[in-house]
Amino acid sequence: MQFARFTTLVLGSALIAGCGDDQHPSTFPTTDCSKITGTCVEVEGTDSTALQAAANSISANTTIVLGAGTFVMTNQLTLRSDGMHLIGQGIDTTTLDFGSATTQVNGVDSIGKDFLIQDLTVLDAPKDGIRVEQSDGVVFRRIRSTWTTPSSMSNGAYGIYPVKSQNVLVEDSRAENASDAGLYVGQCQHVIVRNNTVTGNVAGLEIENTQYADVYGNTAEDNTGGIVVFDLPGNPIVGRDVRLRNNTIRNNNHANFASGGTVATIPVGTGTFAMASRRVEITGNTYENNHTGDIALISGLAVEPSAEKWVLPTASLSGSIEGLDLMSAATGTVMNFRSENIVVAGNKHTGSGTMPDTGDKQALGPLLLAYAGAPVDSVLYDAIGEGPSTAAPTNENHMCVGGNTGGTFASLYVAEQSATSQVPFFRPASPFAPFDCTVLNGGPVAEVVLP
Amino acid sequence: MPRIQLACLIAGVMLSAGCGGGGGDDPGPVLSGPVTIDLDAPPPTLLSDYHLFAWDPAAGFTFNDRVVPYDLNTALFSDYALKQRAIYVPEGAAAAFDPDRALDLPVGSVVMKTFYFPADQRAPTQDLQLIETRLLVRHADGWHPLPYIWDADQHDAVLSPAGEVRAISFTGVDGSPQVSNYLIPQRNDCQGCHAEQAGTGAPIDVVLIGIKARHLNRVYDYGGAVGPRNQLDHLAELGMLTGAPAAATVPAAYDFRPIEASGVSALAGAELDTAARSYLDINCAHCHNPLGVQGMTSQLFLDQANADLFHLGICKRPGSAGVGNGGFTFDIVPGDPDTSILYFRTDTTKLGAMMPLLGRSLTHQRGAELLHAWIAAMPMTGCVVDL
Repeated sequence: MQFARFTTLVLGSALIAGCGDDQHPSTFPTTDCSKITGTCVEVEGTDSTALQAAANSISANTTIVLGAGTFVMTNQLTLRSDGMHLIGQGIDTTTLDFGSATTQVNGVDSIGKDFLIQDLTVLDAPKDGIRVEQSDGVVFRRIRSTWTTPSSMSNGAYGIYPVKSQNVLVEDSRAENASDAGLYVGQCQHVIVRNNTVTGNVAGLEIENTQYADVYGNTAEDNTGGIVVFDLPGNPIVGRDVRLRNNTIRNNNHANFASGGTVATIPVGTGTFAMASRRVEITGNTYENNHTGDIALISGLAVEPSAEKWVLPTASLSGSIEGLDLMSAATGTVMNFRSENIVVAGNKHTGSGTMPDTGDKQALGPLLLAYAGAPVDSVLYDAIGEGPSTAAPTNENHMCVGGNTGGTFASLYVAEQSATSQVPFFRPASPFAPFDCTVLNGGPVAEVVLP
Repeated sequence: MPRIQLACLIAGVMLSAGCGGGGGDDPGPVLSGPVTIDLDAPPPTLLSDYHLFAWDPAAGFTFNDRVVPYDLNTALFSDYALKQRAIYVPEGAAAAFDPDRALDLPVGSVVMKTFYFPADQRAPTQDLQLIETRLLVRHADGWHPLPYIWDADQHDAVLSPAGEVRAISFTGVDGSPQVSNYLIPQRNDCQGCHAEQAGTGAPIDVVLIGIKARHLNRVYDYGGAVGPRNQLDHLAELGMLTGAPAAATVPAAYDFRPIEASGVSALAGAELDTAARSYLDINCAHCHNPLGVQGMTSQLFLDQANADLFHLGICKRPGSAGVGNGGFTFDIVPGDPDTSILYFRTDTTKLGAMMPLLGRSLTHQRGAELLHAWIAAMPMTGCVVDL
């Protein structure tokens, strides 16, 4: 076999006994190559040298099965072929430990289609835990990304991090202690994120500049912010069609330990915000004891007040903007700072909003200044793009909270805030007219079906 | 179902029995024949099997026929490693000139770069330790990267796809002790820099970085009968480069050597801008260009061709910079380098925040000084911060 010879020739390091022995019942208790269809290599637990050799020598469409034990990694595991599958023996049984890496590397770093990672833990990566870029067909299943020291600014930025990818499934996984976002889906299309647990991160679960995402059955607890959806300016994918449903978002009161960036502006105790977002449904979730508040609907101007920085040439866009009512600065451009066409319905709200974080550092803080001691409403809207507070309230942005009868609602005219006056606000009773609509313009978000 | 035991695969070069492998048999550095590039065979285990060049501590590098050493005006910083670069172009073929992009080298060509450290940077030709030689071999389907690591006795280098992180101690240019956590890239890391893509989802091509006319347009002392000669002109005279105008008419990147020797205090105005843009072009633009696989995410474009101030970073907020922003808001705040993320990331040695992503564990003092001066000299316009 050419591959075997190549690898044997080129790798001169430790000599490991037992070359002919292909039975490893003790180190492959859950999965070994006999259970894998297609080309497969096994790497003994703890043998990080063999793991690096495999990653850099095998060809496309190969499964690497990792044995039980901790692999002490001094460099990132870099994968650059299509069809790379990485399978351990279980979240508590196989660990890739990057704590002794002396260069700035991610844990697992993959570019290539059809990527799968399953049944292992990635620990203490200097940068991101598992970064998967430009893949079509991504599966994260029963994996954990974490850092040993909670609340440390020097922890890596993102834990589970698919970016610029299509057809992404993240399920039954855990993301902990990231100094930015634990589970961060960025610039992706066609995404299912389900039944994961995110704890101890600044942002628990982020959906950023992403189209067609279904986020359900997840638990976000003890983060600074629980589950958030937003677009950043200048990005060629305009986020749309995101469903947050049947998640549990509670006790997200962790001190904000981000060193900067968008997440540093998240007030402590935030359940969910949707920012610079459209066609979003936030339904059937359980919100509990988030000190600042449960749901905020915010314009992108809150983090980037210069509208011109949100201008995108239409020709530069990836993904569809069909059916979206995007603003335009000039012919051939769109702008995506506006939040609009959002449905909030059927969520449970318990005990939140009692200690809002209005710290100066938080650009989102002005939303909360109106509340002097009173509990913050379950759903807050910044009213950017609506008429002035002195006129009858409008709902130009089609914000629909009519079905959210278990919570309260207020729109705060943030644009009218000044150094000397409080933010005016409008606080209707259920069904919250004129915000009493219950269906998205253009119809509900369609179900995400992965191939 | 092919089933391979990695424990067997890593058994090593010296072990010929049991795991089905053999070793190379050419132990010496001496050039024993013409350059040998067999594109159909698996790559040689030993670097010496290519007969590209020989290394001897006393004689230095000796290059075979049609292997031409070269240098760059401004070079990528790699923890103060010194680099010996060369290209090989097969007999009867030539590279095609391009005014902006990399020279188009014919199939069978090799671009090679050997990284080495002197014990003391103040004596850059003495007590040298060769670390690694990286080859890019031009196949019909593109460039194939092949990393070789020099053995302890410095006789030869061994194909080493898995790479290595190695602590290397040396005395710095200022006489201070330095320790680099030097990254010898794994094979898959090559695409971290040598990659280009027409857009998200498009095929990723392995590309050359330094072999561009503006970087090569300088004098190199070839010694012997040739002596000092412009590199582009010399390649053309050898018949290894076609379509090149006279080097004197080709734009040249800034020569960093005076800055490395004496600092940036003498630079001002347009010269400072040219020097900084050349530095960014070679140190950052391999990712930070519109075709850069990872750089396109950031929308920060530091290539020589970019004339758009926003994409150059002026008052631009970063994308997903994470801890890399250093607590600052904008990539470049004109006139204020100390709150500019671009300066922070190129100056810091904080893991997770450093730029470039690969190959730097120390601060390039003169490089950081240059970028600091460049941003400081920009007219202070202020960036809009808040509501």
